[in-house]
Amino acid sequence: MVKEIEVEPITRLEGHGGMRVVLGDDGKVQDVQFNIQSTRFFEKFVEGRYCEHIPRITPRICGICPIPHHLTPTKAVEDAWGVQIPEPARKLRQLLINAKQYSSHLIHFYALTAPDFLLGPMADPALRNVVHVINKMPDVGAMALKMMDFGQRLCAAVGGKAVHPIAAIVGGMKKALDEDVRDKFLKVIDDQIEMTKKTVDIALKVIDDYWDVVANVGVVPTYYVGMTNNGVHDIYEGDIRIVSPTGEKTDYAPQRYLEALGEHIPEHSYATHMYYKPAGYPEGIYRANTLAMINCADKMATPLADEALKAMREKVGTNVIHHTFAYHWARIIETVEAIEMIATLLKDPDIVNPDCKTLDVQPREGNGVGITEAPRGLLLYNIWSDADGICKKCNLLVATNHNIAGIEKTLMHVAKQVFEDKALDGLKLPDPWIK
Amino acid sequence: MVKVAFWQNSDCWGCHQSLVDLHLQLLPVLPALEIVYWPAVVDFKYDSLVARAPGEIVVGFIEGSLRTKQDVEGTKLMREKCQIIIAFGSCSCYGNVHGLANQWSKEELVRRKFSEVESIADGSGGEPTQHVPGFEDKIVNVDKIIKVDAYIAGCPPRSEQIFGAVGFLLGQKPFPMNDLAFCNDCSLNQSGCLLDAGKLCYGPITSIGCSLKCPNAGNPCVGCMGPAKTVSARASKLNDMTKNLASASSGDKKTSNEFLSLFLNVPLMAGFDLSADILKQVKKRGTPETPLANLPPDTVSIASNVLGFLRDNRDLIDISNVCDTCDRIIGSKSTMTKVKRDYEGLPNLEDCLIEQGYICMGPVTRAGCGALCVKVNAPCSGCYGQTEWGVNQAERFAETAIKGFNVSLSKDELLAQVKDKVGTFEKFTLASRKGG
Ligand code: SF4
Ligand code: SF4
Ligand code: SF4
Ligand SMILES: [Fe+2]
Repeated sequence: MVKEIEVEPITRLEGHGGMRVVLGDDGKVQDVQFNIQSTRFFEKFVEGRYCEHIPRITPRICGICPIPHHLTPTKAVEDAWGVQIPEPARKLRQLLINAKQYSSHLIHFYALTAPDFLLGPMADPALRNVVHVINKMPDVGAMALKMMDFGQRLCAAVGGKAVHPIAAIVGGMKKALDEDVRDKFLKVIDDQIEMTKKTVDIALKVIDDYWDVVANVGVVPTYYVGMTNNGVHDIYEGDIRIVSPTGEKTDYAPQRYLEALGEHIPEHSYATHMYYKPAGYPEGIYRANTLAMINCADKMATPLADEALKAMREKVGTNVIHHTFAYHWARIIETVEAIEMIATLLKDPDIVNPDCKTLDVQPREGNGVGITEAPRGLLLYNIWSDADGICKKCNLLVATNHNIAGIEKTLMHVAKQVFEDKALDGLKLPDPWIK
Repeated sequence: MVKVAFWQNSDCWGCHQSLVDLHLQLLPVLPALEIVYWPAVVDFKYDSLVARAPGEIVVGFIEGSLRTKQDVEGTKLMREKCQIIIAFGSCSCYGNVHGLANQWSKEELVRRKFSEVESIADGSGGEPTQHVPGFEDKIVNVDKIIKVDAYIAGCPPRSEQIFGAVGFLLGQKPFPMNDLAFCNDCSLNQSGCLLDAGKLCYGPITSIGCSLKCPNAGNPCVGCMGPAKTVSARASKLNDMTKNLASASSGDKKTSNEFLSLFLNVPLMAGFDLSADILKQVKKRGTPETPLANLPPDTVSIASNVLGFLRDNRDLIDISNVCDTCDRIIGSKSTMTKVKRDYEGLPNLEDCLIEQGYICMGPVTRAGCGALCVKVNAPCSGCYGQTEWGVNQAERFAETAIKGFNVSLSKDELLAQVKDKVGTFEKFTLASRKGG
């Protein structure tokens, strides 16, 4: 008899999703589906809007990472209209996106991931959540909350609102940071760096504890998509980079994205499947997000993060890493880079320079592309403007979307490991930290 | 422990992020909540919600817009399982930006996303149909399909506002209450009492301890210090007046609105209107204990009067708007002579944005956020929802702007210069348009 295992909903997942595994009589995995069950048609209803209003609408795509959804369409419209922005605006935007990277990665690590690792995957579902972690490990909990709080407050200070920012505008930023506000963040930045280092220690210990899982479960060779700035890890500006399963790297300027990124419409998910066009579907299925970014980078942009990257590559033994559980590790390396970037930018006098907007901005007909790296992966907006600056058409390739096909492929791999090879039975799991 | 459930329709998680942004402040509240459903955070599956008894859950928060058939089904399920339903965020209050999709048919939406987009590259396409719920033709706001007990507007609602609402539901009062009522300290107690002159002032039941800023400026007390343990002699007069709020002046209504938000620790009440008397519901059940129950009877009765009035008069005409909380100068040195687009120039930080030529939705948008956007020099785009419904919003904006601000354009001139009217004036509320 064919057996269907259904998980509904997948919890601690941004968005709405379910999962299905279909097993045949022979115990073989016949099908794995990752069903994304909602979509809201942003690419359609921004038609007819003023192009400069799009960055005030699209942040609602994701409340966890609204900042990339604010900055990326702004960049796309600037590209379409041929607008340059002043240097202080560029730095404010970098500060903003790194503040988001920091808080989002920490939320992910502490609230979405840590419960599994700290309590162990077999723990009571009623307890396997961040609230319980906070109750049982109050020091770690308080530290996590302090870090997220710092990131979110910095987002609010630069972006105007932490959730659904408004400060970026075609041509720059509406307002620079006030000096006294900047000073408040500067005062605690060393503290934050210390807490980040402690988080790295916790993460490395967890990775060590679970090494058997990291090294053996979900090691899936795929393509990867990310962005780099001439090979250096960058989440605000650069080119699209594709890494092949064997580690070959190819770069595409954002405007050439259609040569690289293809979309396949599945029958079982509202989130479409992305793949590397030259390799075709499904062979070209790629993964995005932290591990992909790490695989794309020749080096990190800041010293501590770059050291951490080198250490990771040494431990795993390869430059392109296919270990799904290493996503958490990659996330921590990116967190380190984010706080180092924040520290540098906070000390830069440009971020309090009110000269942060190009005054003479003129709409023109054209189509522009903007990319950034959101905390969940590459984010791309392609906006077509008419001569009055009204949006004629829009194409969106959002971060989570880049990963859907890759996740499904990974789930298939893991399902086979679980149901066919019984690979989990022999796995060494550590004693949970929280019992 | 109070059983709470969070349901997410087609949304962005931002309301939850805003809740989580309370960070350390959440710690004392969490132990009082028993979270029985919250896919974002807790590992309970859908079946567990279906299995609960009707009304078993005390408070249900509904976030997100009704885009899919699953959204509609889940929302109805929540109504069945929860005693109090809160429409949480502008998606569930108004449909939010997703409602802009109502300008097209479902087929057109589906075609663009699943067939037409430029990046589809392998000949695939068409609406997915396997193990996905299907779409509603049009988005409507949640209270079109179920009864809603309370609304927390905002996209997202401010963290403090959510905290206030949750605290209120739990009957918690974070600020201390002093023994004496405000009248005792009031600079107008001996002569010039506002209440004696027939104006609503909540001093008789409010705690002492503030800097007397309001009476010193000739304004009534709106209760921001919270309740006192005793009341002053004027409490019974206040009680009588609040029984008859329908005939109160518009200023008195506004005072009462503000009073509730501050006094009941639901900060920025305009973002938290009540269509049901939560106070009474909470009291009827007996749990959780609300400290309001231990207050002087006059205080409880006055708070109930005002709550009851708000319950029956949701569309308060004199509800506060964003301008009421904005620091900019209205009647400034600037005058709107043409409508500017947001990308033009850079406004100064002092003068009202409308007077500097920009479309700022402040005067027609419910207060609650504290004019957040305007503080970083961006015009308000109306995410807390309109202050008035059932009228043409573009015309209403133009009329309001011309009447109250330095604008040298006629209504027609102003409106002719706004090409995208729906996106400008009804970005967040198109789905809940009534008439007009
Ligand atoms: S109201 Fe705003 S913040 Fe809340 S879910 Fe909807 S879009 Fe997100
Ligand atoms: S219109 Fe806007 S800028 Fe002017 S007072 Fe109102 S909220 Fe402030
Ligand atoms: S200023 Fe307007 S758009 Fe901005 S948060 Fe407040 S209500 Fe929303
Ligand atoms: Fe996201």
